Amino acid sequence: MFANGNEISKISTLTIFWLILIFTIVWMVCWAVGIALPMLCTQLWGDQANLLNEILRALTPVIAILVFIPFNAMFMVLIERRALALWTVRKGPNRVGPDGYLQTAADAIKLLLKEDITPTGADAVMHTFAPILFFAPSIIGAIPLLAAVTNDHPLFHILNLPTGIFYVLAASALPVVALVMAGWASNNKYSLVGGLRSAAQAISYEIPLVLSLVTVCLMAGTLDLVKIVQQQAGGILNWNLLGGGALVGLNQAIGGGGAKALEAAYPMGPVSYICAGLLVCSLVISFWLYLTGACAEINRIPFDLPEAESELVSGYNTEYSGIKFAIFFLAEFTNLFVVASVTTVMFLGGGDNPIPPYILDKIPGIPQMVAAIRESFFCQTLHIINPETLFATLWVIAKVYGLVIFAILIRATLPRFRIDQLMAFGWKRLIPLSLIVFIIVVFAREFVNIHG
Amino acid sequence: MATEIQEIDLKTDEMIINMGPQHPATHGVLRLLLTLDGETVKHVEPVLGHLHRAQEWQGQNRTWFQYQALIDRVDYLSGMFTSWAMARACEQLDGVTVPERAEYMRVIVSEMNRITSHLLWLGTYLIDLGAMFGFPFYPFREREKLFDLLEEIAGQRMMFNYIRIGGVLRDPKPAWFDKLKAFLDEFPDRIDEYETIVTQNPIFLKRTKGVGILKQSVATDYGVTGPCLRSSGIDMDLRRTRPYSVYPDLKFDVITFDKEGDTWDRYMARILEMRQCVDIIRQCVEKIPTGDIMGKKQMAGMRIKAGEGFAAVESPRGVLGCYVTSSGGEKAVRFRWRNPSFCNLTILPELLKGCPLSDIMAIFGSIDIILPDVDR
Repeated sequence: MFANGNEISKISTLTIFWLILIFTIVWMVCWAVGIALPMLCTQLWGDQANLLNEILRALTPVIAILVFIPFNAMFMVLIERRALALWTVRKGPNRVGPDGYLQTAADAIKLLLKEDITPTGADAVMHTFAPILFFAPSIIGAIPLLAAVTNDHPLFHILNLPTGIFYVLAASALPVVALVMAGWASNNKYSLVGGLRSAAQAISYEIPLVLSLVTVCLMAGTLDLVKIVQQQAGGILNWNLLGGGALVGLNQAIGGGGAKALEAAYPMGPVSYICAGLLVCSLVISFWLYLTGACAEINRIPFDLPEAESELVSGYNTEYSGIKFAIFFLAEFTNLFVVASVTTVMFLGGGDNPIPPYILDKIPGIPQMVAAIRESFFCQTLHIINPETLFATLWVIAKVYGLVIFAILIRATLPRFRIDQLMAFGWKRLIPLSLIVFIIVVFAREFVNIHG
Repeated sequence: MATEIQEIDLKTDEMIINMGPQHPATHGVLRLLLTLDGETVKHVEPVLGHLHRAQEWQGQNRTWFQYQALIDRVDYLSGMFTSWAMARACEQLDGVTVPERAEYMRVIVSEMNRITSHLLWLGTYLIDLGAMFGFPFYPFREREKLFDLLEEIAGQRMMFNYIRIGGVLRDPKPAWFDKLKAFLDEFPDRIDEYETIVTQNPIFLKRTKGVGILKQSVATDYGVTGPCLRSSGIDMDLRRTRPYSVYPDLKFDVITFDKEGDTWDRYMARILEMRQCVDIIRQCVEKIPTGDIMGKKQMAGMRIKAGEGFAAVESPRGVLGCYVTSSGGEKAVRFRWRNPSFCNLTILPELLKGCPLSDIMAIFGSIDIILPDVDR
């Protein structure tokens, strides 16, 4: 390791500072719009304020997302640059503001003030419309995730769709249209090649990506994101990553159910045990498939062929500058965040604590702490926090940003595929593998009493 | 009613792309005129001359002393070798005997320069392959250490102007050799480190194995030299085939592969060559005698005896030759350089024909050219 401890501690401080800043701002805005203002209106006008209050509550999630995305992208760009610098024996941005904290804010201002150039011969309408179409789906896709990641908080309850994951996938398939538009409208051959590459890549990698999520939905029996998260509650053994509910019986047996719980969950003895093992393997493979497909979907190394710098200059966004480029950039990082959130919700138990409750309750102090938060002034009178949402959100933050850091680490390690190798890898390896996993899951789940 | 088969006539065209002179991966200002069919390369035409600085003409209009300082810029990644080629050509004319300590110093600094050149190649080559942010920076760490050492004796980090006609510029202090030895002890571990990340990386292997195979007949027809030639199985290294300086006294193997090499072999040849350089420098540091380091008085008005001279050295990119004609005056009558990058570049159309667009960078990077060296 060449990383020096000093640099790591600096990056950790930066992360904690930014995360506290972002989530305090977002939560205070949500609280102000969704809770404090309606409470005030009711105090002032009584029942007459009901309609206004409903509108305010409905607006809360949208405002939350709109406040969150720019701050989050700013933080993610900064942490990406600092972490890459750490892994590549460099310093990284450390000049603007205290220790480089304001670097991305300065970058954003610079991009907004830059001249917005439309190249000669470009299709101006499409050229302008492409970044918007690229950015919009990432906001739309992020919305149903809000309810899932806050443990179904009442404020975000209205966003929860019964077809949640289907909706998110539909939204995440849209940006490719924007990339082809950007490539075509730029009147640049590199952009065109980049746009076409991205179309080919997105179509190929969508299939394993969706199939890997289908296995999860098959195990869960629902598309509803909140329900999928709730099914995974109760420790790491219940997570979809480890068998999608096949180990729930084991978890119950360890937690005090004993042999009876085992028998209920695995009714056919050894056959059930083997099937449970198969399910665990399948879901781990599904997790890996999803990560790979998602990397290709959001154009990150080793699948960043649409914007391969050493070949296509910058691919589809070669001819973009100023605010249009800023929107592309923002959307890319938002996509990364959305993908990490979907992984967290679908595979890593959402806001669930990896330590099962039967162990957690025995740790002295924790139940008392939860009770103290519940009875505190903030929870009872101001409704700022409640323990379920608080802990769920903290775990989601840890998992999501852990995955983001993992993506950065991959970026710091791997070279890029060639386009034909990328296609061969997608069609000849990933798609058959995902189909095999799918078929194994279809049969193996019949022999195990899933979810206890 | 019989169904009519309707034939749709789709028109497909070849696309002509100008890659460069402003392109992130053409290593400067090379312009490649590509004819593409989809993503397959049909035809390549390298267009040279964007960096032409009339280096040869300048040689005829500068005094010997001035031109010595200028030629480091011909190949800025291996300035020691251009200086050395010129110094040898002029010494041949002038009949100067170079002191033995100076010869040893020349070998030491040149081999150090060869390592820095290969290290930079390693970093940029990986960037060409799309590893934008990872290991490319690790080679630069060692490169900086070598430059620190070279700066200490030459006063410059890249344009050394250290090897002069008749000897070398400065005699290093004994402490310098200790620092050099410490670096040599550490460096093989660092090469191991690069190799653990790169050599067997599956994506790296996929991108380089079997790509851009250089046939021996093509290599010899076009006059390819250096690691590219040796990795294709032709055993030609000036340091041994036409030995100069103190190389006959040193023990080293020429890195030659026994088959027609692809880009991975060219990568491997350079990695092995770096290890070789460490051995050579170590031997020199042990053997270096004491004594004088300069055999000709360095001054602005120095003259070289009339005649024609040619000398070639084995630079990191291949055979670097310098031809010089003097009439005995303060300036040369004619300078002519034989640059390895220029000759190696000419095989590009042969290698690139029929390969996918992404492979252009993998192949082009593996040849390791330097644009100032091509255009002069």
